Amino acid sequence: MLPNILHSRAMPYRLLSRDDTYVLNYSTKYLARDNTDDRHNYGQYAAGDPRARIAEAWRFPIIDSYYDGQDYEASYDFNTVTFIYANSDPGLASVAVVGTFADLHAPVPLRRVAGTKYWTVTMVVPKGEVHTYKFIVGGEPRLDPVNPQHATKADGSQWSRFFTQFCTQIISFEEWEVVLLQRLTEHILPFRTTEGQRFLDLYYNYLDRNAKETVYPHAYRLDQPIGAVSFIDKVVAREESHRLQDYKICLETIDRLLRNRNPYTEPSRIAMEFYTELYDQMAGGNPRGWDFSRYKNPRFFLQLLRRHTYTGAFSHPKYGGNAGGAGWAYLAANLPDPQTGALPTERSQPSYFDWGHALERPLGRNPEYHG
Amino acid sequence: MAEQDQFDVIIVGSGAGGAPVAHTLVSAGKYILVLEKGPLFRPQQDDPLGLSDYKRDELISDGPEKILTIPGLVNTGASFYTSHVEPDLNDEPHIYQSNDSADYATIEGYTCQCVGGGTQHYGGVSLRFSERDLTLRTFNESRTDIRHDPNGDVKREARDWPITYTELEPYYTKAEQLIGLNGTRTNQIKVASADYYQKPLEPNPISEYARIGMEALGMKPYRTPQAVITQDHAPSGRKVGPLNQRDWEGGPKTAYVNRYGDCLDYKSTTWVALLRPIASRPGFTLRPNCNVTHLECNASRVVTVHYRDPSGQPATVSGKVIVLACSAIETVRLLMLSAEQASTFDSRINQNDLLGKYFLTHCFGGASAIMPGRFDKSRTIDSDWASDFCGTDDFIRSAGLWAGATIYNNTSDQALPIALARTHGATDLDTLWHAFDNDTSMVGEHLKDFLNAQFNRRLSVSFMANQVPQKANRIELHRKVRDKWGRRVAYIIKSWHDHDRFLMDTIAARCRDVLGYGGDGGKGQYPVEGFGGVYLSENALARIANHILGGARFGSDERDSVLDKNCRAWHFDNLYLTDGCFMPTSGSGNPTLTIQANALRVGDAVLASGIV
Repeated sequence: MLPNILHSRAMPYRLLSRDDTYVLNYSTKYLARDNTDDRHNYGQYAAGDPRARIAEAWRFPIIDSYYDGQDYEASYDFNTVTFIYANSDPGLASVAVVGTFADLHAPVPLRRVAGTKYWTVTMVVPKGEVHTYKFIVGGEPRLDPVNPQHATKADGSQWSRFFTQFCTQIISFEEWEVVLLQRLTEHILPFRTTEGQRFLDLYYNYLDRNAKETVYPHAYRLDQPIGAVSFIDKVVAREESHRLQDYKICLETIDRLLRNRNPYTEPSRIAMEFYTELYDQMAGGNPRGWDFSRYKNPRFFLQLLRRHTYTGAFSHPKYGGNAGGAGWAYLAANLPDPQTGALPTERSQPSYFDWGHALERPLGRNPEYHG
Repeated sequence: MAEQDQFDVIIVGSGAGGAPVAHTLVSAGKYILVLEKGPLFRPQQDDPLGLSDYKRDELISDGPEKILTIPGLVNTGASFYTSHVEPDLNDEPHIYQSNDSADYATIEGYTCQCVGGGTQHYGGVSLRFSERDLTLRTFNESRTDIRHDPNGDVKREARDWPITYTELEPYYTKAEQLIGLNGTRTNQIKVASADYYQKPLEPNPISEYARIGMEALGMKPYRTPQAVITQDHAPSGRKVGPLNQRDWEGGPKTAYVNRYGDCLDYKSTTWVALLRPIASRPGFTLRPNCNVTHLECNASRVVTVHYRDPSGQPATVSGKVIVLACSAIETVRLLMLSAEQASTFDSRINQNDLLGKYFLTHCFGGASAIMPGRFDKSRTIDSDWASDFCGTDDFIRSAGLWAGATIYNNTSDQALPIALARTHGATDLDTLWHAFDNDTSMVGEHLKDFLNAQFNRRLSVSFMANQVPQKANRIELHRKVRDKWGRRVAYIIKSWHDHDRFLMDTIAARCRDVLGYGGDGGKGQYPVEGFGGVYLSENALARIANHILGGARFGSDERDSVLDKNCRAWHFDNLYLTDGCFMPTSGSGNPTLTIQANALRVGDAVLASGIV
């Protein structure tokens, strides 16, 4: 069965038919329950927020892969976004969604999944984008009661927010925080070594020359190792939003601490040795000048930062890091034969990590798996 | 919406225990309903959009950090990481009792909650149990050479199965044919009446160390039978790509195998192998996302199954026969919750005190080493070589053990970079990331050194062995902790027997030897950094290996068992249990194929019962 794509004449958005099974598969586990305890608040919600009663609220709306029924690689530029609104009122006549992915004056209607409390619609949205939306329930605009992501517009209005895959737009941090995070993540990853940096330059240049447009449109040179900061920015916006405050407090604390230690140099410009020293002190749990009244455990923050940085460097690029698979390519090209010390070369020796073999085109080269 | 509410047979659970029964009964023209609490995640081949719900993506399997918030547990406040098909620990934890009698929540003991159950994420190792595994009472009753069993527990607690290997054998053969396995027979001690194995693929080069070590030690190896097809598979209608062409980039070999659902049709899950082929028959109804809450009986017949529909609304359905296959812990829990609701149910299912008792997993463990060479371990179907050396009567007797083990190598372990870090030093699913997080020196050059030393150089050799049955190892309902439906959760109380520890030490040393001899071409001097049994690990008492067995054992005497030889609950006419709970002993290998074979056998017994 080919997907039923409706190209609307008036509006520049595309709807896609997802079957009831799909909608229930991504709803029931999280939304169906009797529980009224706040079991799912790890610090990401204010007291009394009803989201604390449901699991993994961050999954909504559901962002997934897209296929137009004809061309997998052309389809790779898009995601499907499935909106789900749960309401068991049998008298509810209509639900719609309005958002920046379509004409704001044209609400897109949701359909009720027969016999259930779920209303749904699936749209096709380009990758790498950030959008805001509201539901229209019984004629009244409402924030998505499940999705925890909100955005405040210039006029002060609150909207629900989502971002699609391969998003490199920064949404959680301010510019100075990004710069500081870059310096901190550089110390963790092996790419800051001379040969690591040379490799990355070559890899990105290769992508620029041959592949940027045709193979992988979202792979571009980021001014940071492997886009780990972009990954962290996304993961604290969605899956691990309970960790956003850790970053906010600790980045401010670190900024202040570094300024105290180096009154005449911006933290972004001080030598790596100062970061190394700070890192060692954080690992020891007692950095000189750390404001413990604001954050009790600097070692914990360091552990969190390491887990996120490593994950960002080596996870699928759809999560916002590992741009172009550069982290994987580093592993493929830079680990030597332990017996001879020789690095793999394209002609003489196969790679020890042929990551592209398993993965979907155009990111990888698997002919069967489509992402 | 008016949905059908009367069926011949209702099967709760769609994994290794439920799907074979469904396949048998629908093929015989019966009308059955499968209720599955989890989603129907589809491979590309039957997804309407041509894309799979399973992904080759480390983070779909490993999950972001969540934090345990259930009050009153020792690990309240701890981080946990679960895959997209495991339950949320805050919604429905398993609680286990630790050495200090304190309660912890654990993700151990859950199989996947989705259509296909544990067969979606398993590594697919599909060993038969040996003839000896089914006769351990007879084997041990006159022995005087069993070591580390001062109180004679082995002789008192070992049980023969109420069926012989000869009775089970045709169902092993049928399971192997229907499900689709690849492997080799030569050197196995398990006798087969027919060979339906497909041809194995070339092994991953790193596995050669394991083969050399096994050969050097006289452990005759065979290619591990795995539930992955390598040729077109007629019984399930699945096709493979041109696997043998040199430049073919596709195929089943990827590191996204063990702990991943297969986005393609290669892994022989119960969905693609048993249920999808009958899905269009009129007798087959599947309701995913429906969680059964309790059963209701009328005298000796279970008549009504109560469940929550995908919106969470209460619903009921009735059948002439009820089959439970929710994985052993959850099946036992469902029966206990049903008994709490009605004294008639209680008195029948608890006609003796054995429900939940003799809970079993496996004695398991192994050895792991950094091997001399580096290989691309990401092209694998996980296990390449196995040996029954530790399963023969001669070996068992000479080692002073009560029962045997199977040894096999794993290739996909830590073959991907995030798995390498998150399982660094971790011994179970509850301690993921711990060692990496604590090893704060591992940055920059040190991180590079770590990757250099470890990535695609590690090889592990594992064993699975029988655990001594103990009545005190049991499943109960927890006093206080409740799931998201307000139902009491399962409480796991278990410990290792002295003999279990001895057995694990003994077999783990053999696994160490396989790597020690394999690493240096047979001289036996290659350094092996880690080996041992699971009892040595942090959280050892929680460890279950997702082999969830016993708790409702079958037997020929109703005073000594919960189920009769056909896996029917003794005092019910129409209630059958077909997940791993029926096992009186846990066998010398991974249990899935035996659960599948037994479920096919029970399917025939249901047909022969005359009830439907």
